[in-house]
Amino acid sequence: MSQSDLTSRRQVQGDVAALAGAIERAAGDLTIAEEPSNFAVVLEAGAPRG
Amino acid sequence: MDDLTLTGLAAAIADRKLSAVEATAGCLDRIARLDGRLRAFITLDAEGALARARALDADLAAGRRRGPLHGVPLAYKDLCHVRGLPTSCGTKTAEYFTSEIECTAVARLTAAGAVTLGKLNMTELALGPFGDNPHHGNVDNPWKPGHVAGGSSSGSGAAVAAGLAYGALGSDTGGSIRLPAACCGIVGIKPTYGRVSRAGVMPLSWSLDHLGPMTRTVRDAALMLEIVAGHDPHDATSSPRPVDALVAGLERGPAGLRVALPDNYYFDGVTPEVRTAVETAAGVLASRGARVQILRLPDPALLNDVANILARSESATIHARVARERPHELGAAVRSRLEVGFHISAHDYLQAGRLRARLAREFVAEVFAETDAVLAPAIPEPPPALDAVTAGPVDEIVRRMGRFSRLTRPFNVLGLPVVALPCGIGADGRPLGVQIVGRPFDESTILRLAHAYEEATDWHTRRP
Repeated sequence: MSQSDLTSRRQVQGDVAALAGAIERAAGDLTIAEEPSNFAVVLEAGAPRG
Repeated sequence: MDDLTLTGLAAAIADRKLSAVEATAGCLDRIARLDGRLRAFITLDAEGALARARALDADLAAGRRRGPLHGVPLAYKDLCHVRGLPTSCGTKTAEYFTSEIECTAVARLTAAGAVTLGKLNMTELALGPFGDNPHHGNVDNPWKPGHVAGGSSSGSGAAVAAGLAYGALGSDTGGSIRLPAACCGIVGIKPTYGRVSRAGVMPLSWSLDHLGPMTRTVRDAALMLEIVAGHDPHDATSSPRPVDALVAGLERGPAGLRVALPDNYYFDGVTPEVRTAVETAAGVLASRGARVQILRLPDPALLNDVANILARSESATIHARVARERPHELGAAVRSRLEVGFHISAHDYLQAGRLRARLAREFVAEVFAETDAVLAPAIPEPPPALDAVTAGPVDEIVRRMGRFSRLTRPFNVLGLPVVALPCGIGADGRPLGVQIVGRPFDESTILRLAHAYEEATDWHTRRP
């Protein structure tokens, strides 16, 4: 493995770790009931009435 | 004819003042004269466009008007599958994307009478905000040679601004309609997630992709959106909600509407002329009766993290084959952005999806209790020199990409409708753009505000 491959791999690992850390900190207090598909429910519920 | 808007051209053809053939030939002539520099088209179908225009003229002569776009020449980002034409998605492979069905939005525009001129250049795989492309040439800014046209719908922005087409379709995963609209001085709408079908369109991120019109005026955009919006059984995320009468709603004016200028994030680090142009736009709306206020928005930093997790995981999955089997065919920055996605865990991806639901719920509840729309810059600076933003190490280029799209990306995570439109021209002739954000499925209100702003200003009448 070349030096530039190693640097690149470290960069990717660093990017992923930073993203994962940010998500994990924020996700700590999510309720058990929360699920990704609730997003579509939010949009429909937030639309103007009639 | 070159100065006509899409709506104006459609009326002129309906009134037999112009023919579809004349309109199409006019576009082809401008393409021949200007596209050598702009590089807006990847595939030009001159023969097919003229044949279609002749057929439409014959229809009209026989009393058959196909629809509100009868005879209007349009062009589509080269990730829309159009029957009979290749779809490169900006890659080296001419037919990178194939689909059993034609792009629903294109099919609806065609059914409304549009003429297809061809397929428009874009950033490779729609991954990048600058409009550079190593395979099909860098799209040039029509206003300022050597400067960014915005991406990834770069050809759509340049073609409409330069009058090569009367309207275009673009796609927006992190700003890819609004950035080129702002950089090229035109109008672009990212509709609510689920409002416009993405069937027949190359996916980049299922969670964040949106398809929408790019035009010279708000009225033109409203007309195109009204045609392409609405439920499509071919797209599982398509909403069954009925489409509002968007064109008819434009004249209702902004009186009584509440408009918020964010006091956090969206003006951080923007250039003084961008800040002044957006604040002036707010003043224009206030002078027409809108109630403008300053509002603190939920912190978008987490929205950007969620966007990165979702976009990188999904794009790496979708484009795994080219990334793993033929990585040498991809540009270095595209390869680098895809690579990150292969290393994100399922746990983090799902947590990001759950967070997205909560963040959207909080944003809609908190922000739209206080205002009907949010007004913010679309780009943090006038379109920069392309050489400057694409120079240097890959990680630095990727960071620049993130900074340039930081004002648009949060609204892809939130799925909210946003219209970008011109709000000024900088001292050295580069366009400035503003974006107006609305409630879910409330395209009508943001278009109404944008139209009122347009009526009070003349930026949309300026040509490069």
